[in-house]
Formats: sequence, C-alpha cells, structure tokens
Amino acid sequence: MIWRLSQVAVALLAAFSLPFAGCGWRVERSPCVLALTLPADPPTLNPVTATDVTAGQVNRYVFESLLERDNETLELVPMLAKRWEVSDDKLTYTFWLREDVLWHDGERFDADDVIYTFERIRDPKVDAARLRNYFRDITSIEKLGEDAVRFVYSRPYFKALEVIGGATIIPKHAFEDGRDFNAHPLGRNPIGTGPYRFVGWKTGRSIDLEKNESYWGREPAIEGISYKIIPDRTVAFQLLKKGALDMEALRTIQWARQTESESFASQFEKYRYYLPNYSYIGWNIRRPMFSDRRVRIAMTMLINREAILEKILFGEGQIVASNFYRFGKNYDSSIAPYPFDPRRARELLDEAGWVDTDGDGIRDKDGVPFRFKLLSPAGSGFSKSLGLFLREELSKVGISMGLQQFEWATMLDMLSRRDFDAASLAWSTTLEEDPYQVWHSSQAVEGSNFVGFSNERADALIEDARREFDSNRRAELYYEFQRILHREEPYTFLFTAPSLVAVARRFENVKAYRLGVDILEWGIGPWPVLMEW
Amino acid sequence: MLAYLMKRILLMVPTLLGIVVITFAVVHLAPGDPASLKAQSATDALASDAMTRQIVEDTKAIYGLDKPLHVQFGRWLIQVATFDFGTSYRDGRRVMDKIWEAIPITLTLNILTILIIYIVSIPLGTAAALRPGRFFDRASSFVLFVLYSLPSFWVAMMLIVLLGSGDYLNWFPITGFVSPGADALPWYGWMSNVAWHLVLPVICLTYGGFAFLSRFARASLLEVIRQDYMRTARAKGLSEWSVVVKHGLKNAMIPLLTLMGTLLPALLGGSVIIEQIFSIPGMGRLGFESVLARDYPVIMAIATISAFLTLMSILITDILYVMVDPRITFEKR
Repeated sequence: MIWRLSQVAVALLAAFSLPFAGCGWRVERSPCVLALTLPADPPTLNPVTATDVTAGQVNRYVFESLLERDNETLELVPMLAKRWEVSDDKLTYTFWLREDVLWHDGERFDADDVIYTFERIRDPKVDAARLRNYFRDITSIEKLGEDAVRFVYSRPYFKALEVIGGATIIPKHAFEDGRDFNAHPLGRNPIGTGPYRFVGWKTGRSIDLEKNESYWGREPAIEGISYKIIPDRTVAFQLLKKGALDMEALRTIQWARQTESESFASQFEKYRYYLPNYSYIGWNIRRPMFSDRRVRIAMTMLINREAILEKILFGEGQIVASNFYRFGKNYDSSIAPYPFDPRRARELLDEAGWVDTDGDGIRDKDGVPFRFKLLSPAGSGFSKSLGLFLREELSKVGISMGLQQFEWATMLDMLSRRDFDAASLAWSTTLEEDPYQVWHSSQAVEGSNFVGFSNERADALIEDARREFDSNRRAELYYEFQRILHREEPYTFLFTAPSLVAVARRFENVKAYRLGVDILEWGIGPWPVLMEW
Repeated sequence: MLAYLMKRILLMVPTLLGIVVITFAVVHLAPGDPASLKAQSATDALASDAMTRQIVEDTKAIYGLDKPLHVQFGRWLIQVATFDFGTSYRDGRRVMDKIWEAIPITLTLNILTILIIYIVSIPLGTAAALRPGRFFDRASSFVLFVLYSLPSFWVAMMLIVLLGSGDYLNWFPITGFVSPGADALPWYGWMSNVAWHLVLPVICLTYGGFAFLSRFARASLLEVIRQDYMRTARAKGLSEWSVVVKHGLKNAMIPLLTLMGTLLPALLGGSVIIEQIFSIPGMGRLGFESVLARDYPVIMAIATISAFLTLMSILITDILYVMVDPRITFEKR
C-alpha cells in the first residue's frame, strides 16, 4: 500500500511540475519593440467609424491628418499638407498636399483620398455620427489638381482649421471595393500613411505594429509597438512591475504610494503632464433646490476641495474654477475658486429660503425637503469617496444626500433624459475648447448642456467667440463668460487631473510635453535581457 | 421511446421561443442603447461635443433600432431561422465569428476545470461517506467549505500578487493563455507554455467547485450504503473494495447524472471574473463586454445558444437515466 502511495505521489508530482518545466520554454522579448496596454479591444480601427479611445491610441501611429500640433508650441504645423491658406472672409480653406507620401500598401496618397475621407464622414449611411457633427457647416469640398483641396464653410468658425486639419485621412483605393463601409474588413486591417504599419490583431490578446520602412517623415528608433489587451488596471500594473510592459498609465495611488521601491525606480522613470480635462459636480437647475444660484454656491462652499485633493488624489491635481484648459490661454486665473466655508454656506441657504421649518433636521422650502441624490458612474472610486465626503458635510447643515452609482450606459441614458439631481462627472476637453455644446442654452434640451444652464449674455459671448479668429480677443470674450459661470455656478468645478505614466528606463530622450510623451523621438539605450510572460 | 423523443423535441420549440422572447425584451428594454454609447466613448470622462440627440437618432437608424420592438424582433427571428446571428453593432464583425474565436479558449479552460473537480471531489466524497462523522469527514468538509466561501476575485488577486507579480514570487504569467511569439516554439514547448499560463486561472476556477460535488457524492453514497443489496454484497463475502466501488459507487453515481443537465451549457459559459482578471479572451469576457456595449446581436446569440444547449442537455440527461437505470422507463406501464 505504501509503495502504491509513493507511486501515486511521483505521478502527481510529475503532473504538477509539467507547468514549471515550461519555464524553459520562455520567449525572449525584443527590446526594440515598445510594449503598451489597451483596456479593451477597439471596436474597429477604421478611423471614421471608431469612437473609442482605444482605437485612437493605435490609429495615431498608423494614420495621419493634414495638420498636427507641435509638441512645444502647440501650434498647428504641416503633416500630410505641406502648406495651407485661409481666405480673408474665413470661409475658404485651401490645402496643398505632400507629393511624396505612400500608403502602407504602396499606393500614392493624393487629393482623392482627402475628398473621399470627408465624403464618408458626411455620408448619413456611415456610422460616423460623432465626427459628422464637426463637419456640418462645410458646404463644398473641391479638388484643385492631384495635390490640392479646397474646403468651403457656410459660416466662419474659429475651430474650422483645427477640425479639417485634424481629421484622419483614409485610403480611397482600399475602401472602394463595393463592400459596406461600416463593416469593412479594413477596420481590422488598417492601411494608413503613418510611421507604423499594422501587422496583426489577435482578438482580446494583442495588436501589433511595425515600423513603416517607406515613411516620408523622420524614421523612429522604435522598431515596433505591441499593444497588450489587459482589462484590469491592477493586473496591468503588476505586469509593468514584472517587466512585461514598457509604458503604463498610473493611478494616483500607484504614483504616490506603490512605485516608491528602489527596484521600481531602477526600472522605470515617472512622468506627469496635464491633458485638458476637469471633474465637476453638475447641479440640475430644473430641480427646485438647485434653481437658486445661492444654493449652488453654498454647495460649492461645502466641498472641501483642498482636503479632497490631498486625501483622495494624494495631491495630484489642481483645483479649477472654470471649464477651460487650466494651462491654456483661455483660462481666467484671476477667478479664485470659492473657499470651503460652511458658515457662509449656511447663510446663503437661509437667504435662499431653505430653512428647517418642520424641525425634522432637514432644510425645506415650500414643503419640499432638501433631499437629493448624487449620480456617478459605477466603478468610479473617486466619485464615491467624493460623495461620502460631501454627504458628511451636508448632513451637518441639514441637507440629506444619497449616492447613486450606475453602469455607464444606464447613466448616459439618465443624463440624456435629464433624470438626475446632481451628477459627479468629468469632461475631457480639447485645447481650444468651444463652450457651445456644454453651455449654450440651445443645447439644454437635447445637447450636452444637461444641467440646463441658460444665460443670455453667456449665449451671446459663446456665439461671438465662435466667429472671432483673433485668439487674444477670443480669450477676452471667454474671460467674461467665465465670470458669468462663476457667478451662476451651474457646476461645482473640482480638479484637473494629471496623466501619470511610468516609462522603462531603456528608452532615451523621453520628454513629457504639455500634451504627453512622443514615442517617435525616443531612442533605445542599453537594455537587459527581456522575457515575454 | 421514439414517440416520446419526438414529443420532447417538439415541446422544445415553444420553450425556446419563450426564452428568446423574454431575453429579447429584457435586453432591449434595459436602460441605455448602443447608439448613445457610440456617440460617447466608454470612459469616465464624457466627450463634450457629442451628446446631441440627433446624433443618437441617426445612429439608431443605421442599425434599424428606430423601428418598433416587435418589428425588430421579427427581423431578428427570421434572420436566426436561417442560422445567421447577424453582425455585431460594436465592430461590424459577424457574431458567429466572434463566438467561434472565444469558444475554444473557454472550452479548454472548462474541460480542465470540470475534469479536475470530478477527479478530486468524487474520491473525497467517497472517503468521507465511508466513515461519516469521523475526523476525515469533518476535516475535509471544513476545508472544502472554507474554499467554497472564498470569493474568486480575491483569490485571483492574491495569487497574482503573491505568485505572479514582481513583488514576491514571480513564477507564473498573469495574463492570457500563451506568451506572445510562442508560435515559434516546437509543439511541446508551446504546450508547456500554455500549461504554465493556465495554472493560476485553473486554480481559481476549480477550488470553489470541490465542496458541492464532494458533498453531493458523499450524500448519495450514504444513501446507497444503507440499501439491502449492500448488506447482501458484504454477506456474500466480497472484498470491501468491490462492495464500495462496484455495488455502492456505481449506484450512487446515478443522481450525479442530474448534474449532466448543467454540464453542456457550463462548458461554453465562461467565467466573467476570471477571464476579466487574467485577460483571457473567452466567452465570459465576450458576453460581459457585449452587455456593457449594449451589443444586442451578440447578447442574443449567446443567450439563444446557451438556452438551446440547456434544453438539449436536459433531454440527454433524461435519456441517460433510462440507459443507466433499468427501473426508469418512458413507456406507460
């Protein structure tokens, strides 16, 4: 019996050691390939129909646009277009294209591709609804020879150049084979003009790019990019520490507390930069308690933003007082955010008529008790901590707040039906933000102005700014607009959050610009032996 | 027998239809829709210039989502009747292509898991039943129930941090089921690379399953041990081994057939949590991502296929009962 048992034990041991024997069957990882992550498969890599950020992260190296932004100055500079001209009435935009650009399949890039791209975006049968919105005011697109295109706008718009210049250009010859554009196989096998060409896509596992040998621009040092699809952020962070990734976005807690070790610092360098974004609490002005600006200001004064920034975000972020990019020209830094001041908040609530008349400990007015729910996306740890902070503070002044967390699709539905009291969210904006979609009163019914903000002077300022091409005078209009926002306080503006990344030390010449790092200029230094996991 | 089978199969049609109608209604009536999600990217930050209702309506029209629900259902049913589940709203690919891509991965994981659970649990349950109430019975049931009550996301994270991260032991890979570039290895190298990747996910999938099956085996063997034929077998002077295994276990396993009814759908249904944590692109993740994206065609295809498999395996179980146990028959006496 004992002999038999030992035999079984040996067999079991052999079975369990089989996987360990696998250590001998490892694969070496190329040090010249940059390993990144994506949180999910992009739905498609067709830049016209793609809406997802994940698609953008891959496509930025595969495709190009007419213009790009300079890393240092953030001005628009030539890319596929070598020069451009804007007419004096600001309605006609003419672009002259580079003649030396090849698609990844060897075909030459020309004006037909540009025209085809804009035709598809404007085609109502194409699932590009999100992009189409930007191009509504274009009346015609003309071809002026092989390498020149002219766009005509129906009315002047200060963002027109950025909008046209920023559109990703797709290859006409490859798409035009009679197949349905929305489900075209090129969406899983993209052909672009960019510095990297598409190699392969293993669903749920990875997307691989390699250097485009016939690229028209400066050749990058990095030979290829491999995007690993990792849905869980904590796992991605562990993978980074194992050395299986070269660059990864860090959460504030990881940045502040979990990357302090010497071994981490010897492998990775950390970088911080601010993309245009801000978090806020939007007060639904249609609700009786939030229809009075004094109440909204009182709410802001009850949020201890300094403490929240320190405790939840480990100090990583900046308090903002308005909607514009904190480090851009349009942000009015003379506006001081409302201070944390519960005493003044109480006075404001009293003045607005919200007092506890029935003695139940909750303020009320006209028979309506001051109870509301704060809506936030499920899984947002920040919103939850913020909500708990706020609930505590509000209960001290006689306001009862509940927390409501919903999955993303459900939450979007509630916002578009305006069925919420207050919402804790963030906007990711652009460098030259046009406040029209979020703040113009015309968008209160069906647009992004879901809090229902409406102010005649603000509307006029927004409209004037859209026609103002001088950036200094536009900034002045926006300064006045921000003072109105500050007086009305339809949002409690919270923070602008930095992007935090860790980059493997073997890469050289890594710089954190205003809007991020640029891998195209990186070099590769000496490296240790790297293994795949 | 044949008449009975025909009747059962015909009855499956209205049952399946009922399931499909209810699922379709629930999926479509749930808040949120694919069109508004497409106008937004699925991140915590909203894109400011995209939330106009016109955009959403345009997108709905492209996918036929502007039609009344019963029209949409009719269209879907006609399509499915020709064995076509349509194309995904999310990426425009054929739904069946997406499912075929995920099935082999989930199937491999589940076959391994189920095999390990059976191989471990049935001997454990048998050993416990032979000496009920004694030390081994109590100790094993205590340990198994402790395992059973550990949440798998926690165990998965602990395993990743302790055995798979750079911080403590760094023995196992923590993502996927094969290393990138492993295709270049010889086949046995590739196999061992896959086995190495499967260690942690398979541990997470199995440990919770031991308790149920071993208690089930124990209970049903205890039932059998009290039977007259067991006493007869012992009286005949058969060895203990042959009494327990041949007479006892064989009969005790009949109730286990009931579990077969859940086996077929369980083989194809992936574990959302484990696949999500270990970045394994199986059926669980496909289903989960489709629900989040409100990708109706994929959700409906997965629901229909698993409803069909469940009905089929219930039928197969019933047939197996007749074959294994001569006391059961479909014919009227």
